[in-house]
Amino acid sequence: MLLFQSEEWIDKWCKRNDLERGEVLTIHQVWGLSKLWYHNRLSLDYHGRSIEQVAEIFRQAG
Amino acid sequence: MDNNESLLWQVRHFVYNHFADTTHPPNVDKTAMHFNISAEKAGEYYKELHNRHAFFLEPETLTVRMANPFSGIPTDFKVHANGKTYYANCAWDMLGIPAALHADAGIEAVCTESNGSVQLEITNGQITNYDLLIHFPLPFSRWYDDLVFT
Repeated sequence: MLLFQSEEWIDKWCKRNDLERGEVLTIHQVWGLSKLWYHNRLSLDYHGRSIEQVAEIFRQAG
Repeated sequence: MDNNESLLWQVRHFVYNHFADTTHPPNVDKTAMHFNISAEKAGEYYKELHNRHAFFLEPETLTVRMANPFSGIPTDFKVHANGKTYYANCAWDMLGIPAALHADAGIEAVCTESNGSVQLEITNGQITNYDLLIHFPLPFSRWYDDLVFT
């Protein structure tokens, strides 16, 4: 996951690396996703996630 | 492996909390000493946790490279929190560290293409600097194909 200062820099990076543009999220969206994804990562009870649980987190994050 | 499932997840918990407490991962000897097991057995647990994507080892070693969001090596994503400085694996993980620690943070990072330095703050669960963007070059189904690239 790569950080960019603007859309223009993303386009330049994709062109330079001959790669198609992927999903682009704002820093605010990713902060929301991070809280859902990582809030329990230090817990003894965290044993990873199923595909269904991952899909639910992405759904909650919008 | 002769697997004790409960101890396996205790090892994962120890590695993660060692990262949180010290900013770096414990080596196998330290983990073995903590659990009063042999270094060989601790190494087996490390390999099993790597195979289950609980954390990731440097190739052909027992050194923890990534316990997401924490990085075992310096990166362009530096996170200051709880009086310590951590390194994150990527732009998402730089936000994952304050989320995992439930802490305020100051983040120093670099724009991938311009190489311009970027600062942002997490304070009371709110983020500053709304202008930044994060690009996910790969769909989720391909994240583990090449984790360093991802």
